[in-house]
Amino acid sequence: MSRLHAENLTVTYGERDIVKNLGVSIPDGQITAIIGPNGCGKSTLLKTLSRILNPKTGMVYLDGKGISKEPTKKIAQKMAILPQSPDAPEGLTVGELVSYGRFPYQKGLGKLTKKDYEVIDWSLQVTGIHEFKDRPVDALSGGQRQRVWIAMALAQETDIILLDEPTTYLDMCHQLEVLELLDHLNRVENRTIVMVIHDLNHAARFAHHMVAMKDGSIINEGTAEEVMTRQVLRNVFNIDAEIGMDPRTRKPVCLTYDIIKPVELVGNLA
Amino acid sequence: MNPGHAKKVRVTTISAIVLLIAVFIISVATGFASLTPTELFWTIFGQGTPKQDLILFEFRLPRIIVAVLAGMGLAVSGALLQSLTKNPLSDPGILGINAGAGLMVVVYIMFFSVESSSSLYILPLFALAGGGATAAIIYIMSYKKGEGVEPARLVLVGVGLAAALSGAALTLATRLDMENYAFMANWLAGRIWGDDWIFVLSLLPWILLLLPISMVKSNVLNMLNLNENVAIGTGVNAGRERIVLITIAVALASASVAVSGGIAFVGLMAPHIARSLVGPRHQSFLPLAALIGAVLLLAADTIGRVILDPSGIPAGIIVTLIGAPYFMYLLARK
Repeated sequence: MSRLHAENLTVTYGERDIVKNLGVSIPDGQITAIIGPNGCGKSTLLKTLSRILNPKTGMVYLDGKGISKEPTKKIAQKMAILPQSPDAPEGLTVGELVSYGRFPYQKGLGKLTKKDYEVIDWSLQVTGIHEFKDRPVDALSGGQRQRVWIAMALAQETDIILLDEPTTYLDMCHQLEVLELLDHLNRVENRTIVMVIHDLNHAARFAHHMVAMKDGSIINEGTAEEVMTRQVLRNVFNIDAEIGMDPRTRKPVCLTYDIIKPVELVGNLA
Repeated sequence: MNPGHAKKVRVTTISAIVLLIAVFIISVATGFASLTPTELFWTIFGQGTPKQDLILFEFRLPRIIVAVLAGMGLAVSGALLQSLTKNPLSDPGILGINAGAGLMVVVYIMFFSVESSSSLYILPLFALAGGGATAAIIYIMSYKKGEGVEPARLVLVGVGLAAALSGAALTLATRLDMENYAFMANWLAGRIWGDDWIFVLSLLPWILLLLPISMVKSNVLNMLNLNENVAIGTGVNAGRERIVLITIAVALASASVAVSGGIAFVGLMAPHIARSLVGPRHQSFLPLAALIGAVLLLAADTIGRVILDPSGIPAGIIVTLIGAPYFMYLLARK
């Protein structure tokens, strides 16, 4: 089943088609990772799915209804989006930022109800940032800050959460911390997660469903085993990859890789 | 938010109200035709002599209220512009909106002269047309497709446009007769000239209408101040809200300067001070910014009036003396 899907999407940026006549279904209750080289349109696809960008043609559907036709606040109660590395205004506290996630449920001046406080509290707990509640967001480390933004998305209480490169700029440990948090939300809370991610091994390790894009189209999608193959990576990234198995997670991993050079270039060098 | 912070916001806001009352009492007690605090107290409660009544209700109070209202309008206008452009240097004066309004004030005077008070109610509308057109030009000139409005370009375009518009206003003003020219020169320097109840009445509806709307929009402002994409994701109709809020900001600034003169920096300083005291959540800092704006402009007008008595120094110059270094400090910190 798929509550979120898109048909015939074409998204343009200036004169150029970034996403070309693309259809995709996001499996419910799973983690979907969108991978692909820079400029392949994966971020654009995520932004279009979350109505930040409007497609030139085609439509994104949520629960069978076109998202451009539904009230935007109503969609925000079903689907949250965490854009790439947003900045918080100077001096805004963690608690205040997370409380902003309640926007889709608020009217007028936005006085927080008891229910709001409960959800905010829970979001702070589950992301492990409750102790920083009264600290300014800009005083936290990169990894902590990313968890604050995830907590804000959680405060939106949505079944679907989209994330644009949630691990970029984080060190190895904090990358894993964020991914394990998403994994936890998926397993325990049954949330549908869609993320754009650069690290193929992270994608293979955490995603149930992988979507590989190139030049605005989906080249291949399926389980990690189906997508993390020599052939697909050659097509998508133009790399010659050595795929093995992670001895701990039993998932496919890219052990090493080389760039495939154009034939004539190799000829010249020889 | 948490009880401690809520208390801090309350205490700070009440302190600002007390400060505003103190500045009011000082303002009445200083300069030409003044009342002591005791006289002021009895006059307010209807026990004043006819002379005291005249001083308070005819001479002092209208000008004080204009300063308070214009200070509030400019402060909230600056706060909205800063939040929407995510640029701490935004201010209706720096962005040229005041100058655009000023140009239209000259045009108004060419048609109606300063003396005809019956048409004064439409003066804010003239100012609004000038301020609105300026805002539109700045927006178009600093907008780049795909990148949105870049803060640095916004300030540069604004400063340039402000200079050009002030120049145009002065050039036009040379065609006025002596009295109207003197008035215009004073207007540009930011002398609070609306010292009659009619000016209070022509500004009051704008403030009474637009200040509460701004406060109600606190939630939306919080979201737009974060990030355009985050705002859309949480269900803010970003495009529409942005236009509505910019229009409110321009209207507040234009209506304010129409009766207060071209006053810069209040819109820059007041929101900054408020934010540094209670944080950037709009529910907390917007009312405080309005109060601080009122304190700043009333204090500047009082100081300007007292030194160099009786002609005084325009409030706009006093504000600029404080505001310009503050602006430099913010620039250096960035």
